[in-house]
Amino acid sequence: MTNTNTSHIRNFSIVAHIDHGKSTISDRILELTKTVAARDMTKQLLDSMDIEQERGITIKSNAVRVMYEADDGNEYQFNLIDTPGHVDFTYEVSRSLAACEGAVLVVDATQGVEAQTVSNALLAMNADLDIVPAINKIDLPSAEPERVREEIEEVLAIPADDAVLVSGKTGEGIHDLLESIVYLVSPPEGSATEPVKALILDSYFDAYRGVVAMVRVFDGVVKPGMRMVMMAQNQHFLCEEVGVKRPLEQPLPELLVGEVGYVVTGLKDPGLVHTGDTITLADRPCAEPCPGYHEAKPMVFTGLFPIDNKYYENLRDALEKLKVNDPSLTWQPETSVALGFGFRVGFLGLLHMEVVKERLEREFDLELIATSPSVDYHVYKTDGQMLEVTSPQDLPKPEEIDHIEEPYLKATVIVPPDYVGAVMQLLVDHRGISTDMVYLSEKSVELHFDIPLAELILDFFDQLKSRTKGYASLDYEFDDYRTSDLVKLDILLSGEEVDALSFIVHKDKAYQLGRGLCDKLKGIIPRQQFEVPIQGAIGNKIISRSTVKAHRKDVLAKCYGGDISRKRKLLEKQKEGKKRMKSIGRVEVPQEAFLAVLKVDDE
Amino acid sequence: MSGGWCWREVTGAVGSLYVHIPFCARKCGYCDFASWATSVTDGRMGDYVRALRWQLDELAGCGLLEDCRTGYVGGGTPSMLGATRLAGLLRAMRRAAPGMRELTCEGNPDSLTADVIAAAAAAGATRLSIGVQSLDDAELEALGRLHDARQAVGCVRAAVASGLDVSVDLMCAIPDQTNESWASTLAAACDLGVGHISVYPLQLEPGTPLGDRYKDDDPPWNDEGVQADRMEQASGVLCDAGLSRYEVASYALPGRRCLHNMAYWTGVPYVGVGHGAASMLDRGAYHKLRRVATQLPALPGWVQRVRLRMESPWEGIALAPPMNELDFSGELLCEEQALAEDLMLGMRLSRGVGERLVGAATLMFGDEFVRTVDGLERRGLVALTDGGMRPTQTGWLLGNEVFGALWSLAPSSVASL
Repeated sequence: MTNTNTSHIRNFSIVAHIDHGKSTISDRILELTKTVAARDMTKQLLDSMDIEQERGITIKSNAVRVMYEADDGNEYQFNLIDTPGHVDFTYEVSRSLAACEGAVLVVDATQGVEAQTVSNALLAMNADLDIVPAINKIDLPSAEPERVREEIEEVLAIPADDAVLVSGKTGEGIHDLLESIVYLVSPPEGSATEPVKALILDSYFDAYRGVVAMVRVFDGVVKPGMRMVMMAQNQHFLCEEVGVKRPLEQPLPELLVGEVGYVVTGLKDPGLVHTGDTITLADRPCAEPCPGYHEAKPMVFTGLFPIDNKYYENLRDALEKLKVNDPSLTWQPETSVALGFGFRVGFLGLLHMEVVKERLEREFDLELIATSPSVDYHVYKTDGQMLEVTSPQDLPKPEEIDHIEEPYLKATVIVPPDYVGAVMQLLVDHRGISTDMVYLSEKSVELHFDIPLAELILDFFDQLKSRTKGYASLDYEFDDYRTSDLVKLDILLSGEEVDALSFIVHKDKAYQLGRGLCDKLKGIIPRQQFEVPIQGAIGNKIISRSTVKAHRKDVLAKCYGGDISRKRKLLEKQKEGKKRMKSIGRVEVPQEAFLAVLKVDDE
Repeated sequence: MSGGWCWREVTGAVGSLYVHIPFCARKCGYCDFASWATSVTDGRMGDYVRALRWQLDELAGCGLLEDCRTGYVGGGTPSMLGATRLAGLLRAMRRAAPGMRELTCEGNPDSLTADVIAAAAAAGATRLSIGVQSLDDAELEALGRLHDARQAVGCVRAAVASGLDVSVDLMCAIPDQTNESWASTLAAACDLGVGHISVYPLQLEPGTPLGDRYKDDDPPWNDEGVQADRMEQASGVLCDAGLSRYEVASYALPGRRCLHNMAYWTGVPYVGVGHGAASMLDRGAYHKLRRVATQLPALPGWVQRVRLRMESPWEGIALAPPMNELDFSGELLCEEQALAEDLMLGMRLSRGVGERLVGAATLMFGDEFVRTVDGLERRGLVALTDGGMRPTQTGWLLGNEVFGALWSLAPSSVASL
């Protein structure tokens, strides 16, 4: 008889603002429960991708089973669900939280409550989770646990008397944290006899076994050999294997009600398995799927082009390989007069874009040019048709456009009161509309505002950080589409329009941006053997101009006692630089020129 | 070796000998060279020179220097050694390479005194290369030089009077320099009666005080347009004075070219001693060097050329270890790389490269070479000569474009020793 008692199970996530130490605490838990021997610990075990480890961020969700022998003498099954820590992945976070009964809310003892602490706490509370507050980094001299405790109570209205004081670094307090999880987090509920109902938290691809889905079983028991269906996609499959990660895969005879584990689907197309979908039995489906499913929608778009067009197919292959473990990635072919053949790629957000581009270059050894990021504009033509435009090149002629709508966000910034003025100014500069301002405590103010996504994906975040000395934290979600007065700004090099440098901008900012961009490009485009005029234009009207002077002298005159190796190394360096440049007409343009618009405001 | 047309004979010996003296009275603000500031009384300079003399004896003993025609003592500031030590070093070089036709010694006006000049001449130097840099006091001070214009003029006149061949180094695109001040420095230098003048634009190198001070902004005085203008200005003034430009930075009266530097540009093997000194050896010369520097490994069969650098610190060298205890770093070049190097170095010369090199390159690199030269010609960087090619005026100033294109003909990765 299958054990259907769930009282020993605790399913929980750890949520935190970025860099507050979520992954370090996870690692300590694995260590303390001897899930992983200390000698096998690489830092931040759950972040398995290079880029995750390097940047200290989590991109994929992951669920690890940990067995914990509590002070009460019982052994508990902990399913620790690690969630992405970035606002780009809010939907993924919400699905992971839906699989839990509890959440450990980690707050940095030196930083206090920040914007994503608030948004994650709200997500957890909305998901009806039991919250275990933990104040981390208490080993640091600048730690102020008492202040942070007050802040948690004041700002989040979470009772923080019992907040656990921990140090992910030294391991102090981790035992207390595990005990608190046992007592504060409810065991899962559900019925072993009902039809199977399991939520997909995430999935990954295994070359031998196909797509493997991480699931939380809400009802029933999942066993190999079952004929199953994913309800939203209506995709049937045969369950080939089930098991748990500890953190390596360990096959089991079954996944019981309340448990979290993996299901090998055998499906070869990762596009069929969607986070948030529900798995049930093919011949005895559950009555209702798990709530909250929707398809991840790309928010940010950029053109990706191989510098050397003969690598076009390689880029396509690489994107397909990445999509296997990142189904949210979308693309379609794009052709540019300047850059040749490439793809318009859609991302969940800016971080997602950076990570994907970095992986393409690093793991697939591609030299890429990324064009300035864009959003999905809704262009209403005079003939009544609506076009979704994600690339400036696709914008119809001005006379064919009735009006354009762009996506707006509802955003929140939390900042010390001293910086409110600076943030307000930044909002004005970026077409933000302030809607509300709340004093959370003496030391922090929460600003609510609406802002076009297109402004946010330029350099808003970097500017926010620099103008507030790093104190501000930002959170946002999609709100709606609004009409804006937008124009296409073109850039001409030596009199030739370079389509890949065009972008869509609000009319009131076009002149300023055109000037800024011409100046910036002048600094980026190296001198050529001839003078290169750079012009900004709206339609046929030139609005700004700068000039790259002709290259006149480039030779190492000194002979350095016959040290020719030194001269050769300089030439090698120059050659490497040239490889990363794209010839447009007669002009050699470096990669970063195509992202210059992101840097216009840097001073 | 990979068959084909051998454009260069293996000599089995070097044509030139370089000795590096890494001491200066003060390190200039722009210098990123192997040199250390010390005082003339530093006894370790004597130990260092004595050690070099023993190394020279070892090199002579293995036969490496038997065809050596030129010698050069560079730095640093060799004149810092003082009359006695410098003369001892020069005599040791003469003894090690009796066939030398030219022996140059570098010096700075503040330490190249009359007795140092006389001692150098008596010890066998034929040529002095003097670091004048500018004849404008304000500019000299901005560069952090220890001499003023009056001292420089006196020093050069004394050197010329001694009967030695004299060359002066001048720098352009330096702080405070104007077209007018540069013109007067050039004119004054021409009046000194020297047979050779070298002209270098100041290169702002990271890690040097001047380079770091200006790393974030392009100072207008060092703008590349200014550098080009000043180099052209120099070319005009010096050619009017009867000198001709024979290399990127070098101007000489007829018969007064620096034979030693010519060796660098024409693929003649050379050996360098002293900290940081560079050597270029063919298989034969390398084989001979291994007789004394037994720590050097045998060469794989494909290696055509070896470039070495003596890595031992000067304090270590001063302890007088034998050659087989010195540290070398090095690069191994295959036949294609050696030929590409000869092409690019040859294009530093006004006369360019001749039929022999161009013929060898056409055989070795085929269409790729023809296309490369074609491209350079179309861009106005090189001009074809009778069977060979030479840099144009534009190609002279944009030398790296020419050199880079020629070097790219060969496999780019160079093996390490």
